[in-house]
Amino acid sequence: MAEDTIIAISTPLGYGGLGIVRLSGTKALPVARKIFKPRKQKIKIQPRHPLLGKMYHFEQKKYFEEAYLTYFPQPHTYTREDVVEISCHGSPVILEEIVRLGIKAGARLAHPGEFTLRAFLSGRIDILQAEAVNDLIQASSLQQAQISFHQLKGSLSSRIMNLRKSIIHILSQIEASIEFPDENLQISKNQILNTLEKTIKGLKQLLDSYDLGKALREGLSLAITGRPNVGKSTLFNALLQTERAIVTPYPGTTRDYLQESLKINNSLFTLIDMAGLSAPSHPVEREGIKRVKKLIAEADGVLLMFDLSRKETSEDIKLLDKLADKRLLILFNKMDLPQKMNTQAIRKRGKNNPSLAISALKGENLDKLRDMIHDRFVPIQDQQEEVILHLRQKLLLEEILVCLEQSCRLLEEGYPEDLAAEELHKTNPLIGQLTGEIQVDDIIKDIFSRFCVGK
Amino acid sequence: MNSLDEYDVIVIGAGHAGCEAAHASSRIGLETCLITIHLETIAQMSCNPAIGGLAKGHLVREIDALGGLMGLIGDETGIQFRLLNRSRGGAVQAPRAQSDKALYRLTMKSWLEKTPRLSLFQGIVTKILTKNHQAVGVMTLEGNRIMGKAVILTPGTFLNGLIHIGLQSYAAGRANEPSALELSQNLKTLGLKTFRLKTGTPMRLHSQTIDWQRFIPQPGDNKPVSFSFRTKKKLENKILCHIGHTTPQTHKIILKSLDMSPLYSGKITGIGIRYCPSIEDKVVKFPHHHRHQFFLEPEGVETEEVYVNGLSTSLPFPVQKAILRSIPGLDQAKILRPAYGIEYDAVLPTQLQATLETRQISNLYLAGQINGTSGYEEAAAQGLMAGINVSLKLKNKKPFILGRNEAYIGVLIDDLITKGVEEPYRLFTSRAEYRLHLRIDNADKRLTQYGYELGLIQQDDYDSFLRKQDKINKTMVFLEKGTVKTQAGGKISFKDYLKKPEVRFKNVLEYRQFDDSLTEEEIRHIESEVKYEGYLKRQEIEIARIAKMDRKRIPKGVDFQKIPGLTREVREKLEKSCPRTIGEAKKIPGVTPAAIVNLHVYLKILGRKNVPRGTFRET
Repeated sequence: MAEDTIIAISTPLGYGGLGIVRLSGTKALPVARKIFKPRKQKIKIQPRHPLLGKMYHFEQKKYFEEAYLTYFPQPHTYTREDVVEISCHGSPVILEEIVRLGIKAGARLAHPGEFTLRAFLSGRIDILQAEAVNDLIQASSLQQAQISFHQLKGSLSSRIMNLRKSIIHILSQIEASIEFPDENLQISKNQILNTLEKTIKGLKQLLDSYDLGKALREGLSLAITGRPNVGKSTLFNALLQTERAIVTPYPGTTRDYLQESLKINNSLFTLIDMAGLSAPSHPVEREGIKRVKKLIAEADGVLLMFDLSRKETSEDIKLLDKLADKRLLILFNKMDLPQKMNTQAIRKRGKNNPSLAISALKGENLDKLRDMIHDRFVPIQDQQEEVILHLRQKLLLEEILVCLEQSCRLLEEGYPEDLAAEELHKTNPLIGQLTGEIQVDDIIKDIFSRFCVGK
Repeated sequence: MNSLDEYDVIVIGAGHAGCEAAHASSRIGLETCLITIHLETIAQMSCNPAIGGLAKGHLVREIDALGGLMGLIGDETGIQFRLLNRSRGGAVQAPRAQSDKALYRLTMKSWLEKTPRLSLFQGIVTKILTKNHQAVGVMTLEGNRIMGKAVILTPGTFLNGLIHIGLQSYAAGRANEPSALELSQNLKTLGLKTFRLKTGTPMRLHSQTIDWQRFIPQPGDNKPVSFSFRTKKKLENKILCHIGHTTPQTHKIILKSLDMSPLYSGKITGIGIRYCPSIEDKVVKFPHHHRHQFFLEPEGVETEEVYVNGLSTSLPFPVQKAILRSIPGLDQAKILRPAYGIEYDAVLPTQLQATLETRQISNLYLAGQINGTSGYEEAAAQGLMAGINVSLKLKNKKPFILGRNEAYIGVLIDDLITKGVEEPYRLFTSRAEYRLHLRIDNADKRLTQYGYELGLIQQDDYDSFLRKQDKINKTMVFLEKGTVKTQAGGKISFKDYLKKPEVRFKNVLEYRQFDDSLTEEEIRHIESEVKYEGYLKRQEIEIARIAKMDRKRIPKGVDFQKIPGLTREVREKLEKSCPRTIGEAKKIPGVTPAAIVNLHVYLKILGRKNVPRGTFRET
């Protein structure tokens, strides 16, 4: 652990003019020198003196961004190791690129909290509370534990689960053909290649859409949903304090969905107002419904609204049940009217999701709502950690892609299947960090459920 | 022969595990008594008349490299030989052979009878005698006491065995052989946790009542490959196997009779083997398959019995007959032995140490199907290791443990004692992380040195082995030195040329002769070593890294309660086991990888000179 040189983005992304990438470790300076060229070629790097220069893409052999490099030699540094800080424009894309280059040049992406952990391990800081140490150690054990990415983007988790399933499928095909050569399973190399190629394609698409800057620019997505006329568009407008959505007293007027960004207590959100969810009679509505379903599936969180001035219906209950595995905030709207709904029952059914009564129209409790939205949906880690996690995932997926492509190549070039299987097995610790390791038993179970084998 | 009923090692049960165990301990130099219910059933193959296959063939090679018997007797009594996956990579090739069942057990009996320091004895053991939680001998049904310094128990499926044919059941360890009920109860009294497993076997048919024309013949290899590195005789294929299929009519019959199946009607409580499904299982789980494959395997040269591999069932006898009638070619077939299912007691292998000694009773070792495995080869491997380790313990020497990166035997035992067993365990090559390294062609390279040092490999066999290694090394030098011109105009060594997937050793010889009378096996070995080299090197680095972390010492007196981030359960386990290194801590069941990382970091912090006061809160 302490042998590697680590690199990470040190500043919160998105808004500041400046961003800092930090390296710590024995190779901090050599790595930095590979990716940063000072203005004056032969200048000597003086400790603690910021040096102007340009970031250098050593593979494409071109310069791309002006930056300052500051070198802090050990032991008088935060981590007591050699530390290098590169300061430049705060664009997430640029900072991410610098980190990737640093990794290519020999550093390793830091785990969340790792700089602090190194500081502690080297005795640089004194930690008095056991909880803090516990957190540090837990942070370092993230290498083995699953990364919870529900906090980042809801849609990604399902796509990564699918990736895992596909890899199990390919492995079970290869392993079955190896383990049961006598049993006429009719698994051809082409079939295996087919599945591999499909998986590679899907993964490439996933990576392309995985854009850190985009995620941070758009923030967390919140879908406002509920039966027609509960006041979704009213709330939407109230939170935005604009009149963007069309609000009329007739149900189903918001024909489509509306999307708007807003900051709630300094966190960026994308608010999505959906068409009222009920059986569509109009073709336009049907299309809208499909899109709505997709948006909800991909949303990071859902504001589920009820009209408390009416008695709860079976549709209300159905909605609540359908959203059982989403991160919810239950809202009882129209608190300015006499209550007819059994909010207790709804709350109970909604299990551990928090709830709040509001009046979107009269503006009652909206400040409390903003606080609750922030508490409910903003991830516990600060943004720096979030960024690290996000980048870590992307790098893991890229490594997995390399293994899949190599496996494909081996099969195409006529190498034995067990080498192709070997490449696929390499993805295991990588997948392990995303969704949990694929155990041998998972593959064996898959073989026996898919193929009728075994004498 | 020992006239006193006092031995060093007593082995209960002369199945595949028991035979290897008894042979090993007596070869190593201990007076051994092998007790079996019937001397006629020594090394009886209860199920299919064959040895080897994927992963299993690997085990046989490893058993052989260590000096065990299964490979030699397999070759001696084999009647058809095939090398599976011949056209694929060396890591997944495996030898398999049909055996003459009767000849196999007679040969084994004969060899054991001639083994010095080994005494065979016919008797039914009802109790393991202990003193202060240590095994000191056994008691038989007649009341005889046989004393020993250690006991190896290999009872196969006999512990509280219950046979099911249809809804009829009767106690038996194998067809018409008595069940060991008292022994099973005795184990429970000794504090061992048991559980129930099930397996089954298909019917045996009379060869002359089968219309062989209807089935597709499956011949043996043109150039049979032996199991044993020590077999010198030329192997012959003496029989043909045949492939057949069930029909939709067969499936209808089976589905109609499910309520008469003890498994499907809930009469059997034992957990069945998924990897050896009965024909009912196959038909129920894969209803869209309009036919299922089976193999007709003759059980010997002198016998008319044919084993129907793939038609294992516990359906009633009339239904078995109906099944046969629905298959063209078997419609006139006569059943000599009905198919049946069998339930039996097994012991949870997490109660064993890596030497296969139980944690509860010292000097009591368990090996074979009793540990929840299935397969002759898995049993033999355990028997061999138990026999070796009993002997080492009695001689006060260090135990013999094989790592997961050294042998499939290591993978097998490690899986059993760390992960435990929920259904009968069968070895697959995919269970080995280091599959590329654990090949049949290098089993001797990996293990024969051990076998020799233990005293199980004779001097002349060892000398042969050394000569072979020498030949291989010389060939490697030849490959490294010679060069080939590439199309691009450069030069690559013969070795790098051989790495290409389409190139074989004989292609290299087209460039330059190399006459060192290499056998086909040796050539295959060289090809594998060369073609997998890159991957093997990488795996070696990984193995070294893990070994280094495993060696990290846990200082005595470490207070596991102080380590943050561990669950109470893990802390208790660590305190109970008191592991001395991280490697040992890893092996404790229930200690997660995350806990290991926490432990590792904690040890690093401990290693610091000044830990600030109050850093770790007192709990």
